[in-house]
Amino acid sequence: MVRLRIVALAGAVLSAAIPAAGLAKAPVPPPFSGTYQPQGVDEIGMWREDDESERKLAASPLVIHDEHLTAYVKEVLCKAVGNDRCNSVRLYIIREPTFNASMTSNGTMRVLSGLFLRVRNEAELAAVLAHEFAHFERRHGLKEFKSRRTGTDVLAWGSLLASMSPSYSTWRNYRSLEFSIYGNLFRYSRDQEREADHLGLGYLNNSDFQPQAAAAVWTNIIGELEASVAVKGLKKPDFKAIAFTASHPPHAERAAYLAEMAAPEGESRDDGAARYREALAPWLPLFLEDQVKLNDFGASDYIIENLAVDGWSAGLWFARAELYRTRGNPRDLVNAAEFYSNVLKLDDGLAAAHRGLGLSLLKLGRQSDGQAALKRYLALSPNASDANMIKLMVPGE
Amino acid sequence: MRRVQFSKLVQLGILPVVLFAADASAHGLREKGAIVKVADSSLTVTPNRNWNRLGGNRGKNTETWTLDGEQLNDVTFYGGIPQGKPLVKERNKKASPLPKFTSSTLPIEIPELLEGTYRVYKDVAAFRVLSTEPITFLGSSGVVFTYEYSDKDELVRKGEARAAIIKGKLYMVTFDAPRLHYFDHAIEEYHALAATATL
Repeated sequence: MVRLRIVALAGAVLSAAIPAAGLAKAPVPPPFSGTYQPQGVDEIGMWREDDESERKLAASPLVIHDEHLTAYVKEVLCKAVGNDRCNSVRLYIIREPTFNASMTSNGTMRVLSGLFLRVRNEAELAAVLAHEFAHFERRHGLKEFKSRRTGTDVLAWGSLLASMSPSYSTWRNYRSLEFSIYGNLFRYSRDQEREADHLGLGYLNNSDFQPQAAAAVWTNIIGELEASVAVKGLKKPDFKAIAFTASHPPHAERAAYLAEMAAPEGESRDDGAARYREALAPWLPLFLEDQVKLNDFGASDYIIENLAVDGWSAGLWFARAELYRTRGNPRDLVNAAEFYSNVLKLDDGLAAAHRGLGLSLLKLGRQSDGQAALKRYLALSPNASDANMIKLMVPGE
Repeated sequence: MRRVQFSKLVQLGILPVVLFAADASAHGLREKGAIVKVADSSLTVTPNRNWNRLGGNRGKNTETWTLDGEQLNDVTFYGGIPQGKPLVKERNKKASPLPKFTSSTLPIEIPELLEGTYRVYKDVAAFRVLSTEPITFLGSSGVVFTYEYSDKDELVRKGEARAAIIKGKLYMVTFDAPRLHYFDHAIEEYHALAATATL
């Protein structure tokens, strides 16, 4: 009897310790208080661990140490959240072809290279960066740690007390407490994400960026996932369902509330698409190559077509051609040959396109055309790393 | 209902504890001078020093040998990958498929095949093929290529591989080792081993 009451009391304590965070509209960003130093043993400890992992990150071979790209992304962040805020952030761009960005409690922002393919302009990039900054400003890392500690503390005591009881119903009550606490912890994570979305959009509304871009990011992600599973033959995911262990709200919900909260007067603002394309141009071929080589045909094709909405460049045709040639079905090779030809119409000096065209034509049985293209490849880059192999395939070289 | 203790059930013999038989593919020694078949195929090699054969396979026709441990030197034999199959066993055929060796794969595309496999299977983001040259391997015209990649454990590794397509099947021997010291340390051992490969 006593133990039941303890368990019930624990539940009440817990729901007070993990408040739900629900906001109805985008908040106005609070005034910035200046450089912040960690307070309290938890926060000091977390920052120390984050500093250590930042030291390791700075030495990692996976970080893209390009000061131009890093400076550009930092500039977009500063334009989104304000100069006084963005000075507390250190930005690292990591070469990994997934759509993600994260921010730790001490101000380290990691942006994965896959993100650059999924946003089409500065406003969309700013939306993601502002979301991550909002996590930092609201100190979500620390709060989530504390909530997890409280919740698992309650479970530890509860399991000890419940195991001392001879009655099966106490054990059942403990199990339901367990579900309830874990459910609360996962929901807390989702609520933090919602709060970050809300505050992030508040920054965008207050900036010179188009706030409608935030919802556009998620709409594109939904499109990419649908395209990916369609080709893989998997079931279409439900973008509204919330899994028990989901750490983020579902994509459809995010797209909906972000669209709702975007200030209507912001729609006419500049989206910075041209500036974004220019800044990304040196890295786009590499990022596209990383994406194509992931062997996810549907997602890669969707991303390339999405990037080509404002016009097909030689680089985009080339990425598409490589994608189709790599899958290599006969009908794919026909398409690949056409795409490589489109590249050459725009840039005849791109040696790799001649190589790809030559290989595709050879595999389609068009020997003479294929060999002609490979000869052109050898003429353009005689010192290519595979020149000797290509020479074997071309008679008379 | 009282919860019955697990150990009590074991004592009564109702719930026997299953002892696993010695794993057929446990780590093994490959002795100097002994001709051995590798990768469950007709590919044989004759090591000129003792090597360790690692247990557990990444795929049906693969076998990994090492001197100092998989992360320090890794010689992997691919013994006759049939057409339509990936190099190693896919972890999830539908959700994360690996690139396949097909009937239309050209020898010059084998480096791409390995690159795609490593990128998806080992989650490698930065992979670069450094050189691709023709070579005679297993008595047939094949390809030897070198590459470099940054693995998930944040170490940069270099690799060299020899491959040939014989009777529609892919035979390949790869060597991966960290760029710092270990690649140069064991590269000659790999060359010696690969030179004795016969079909």
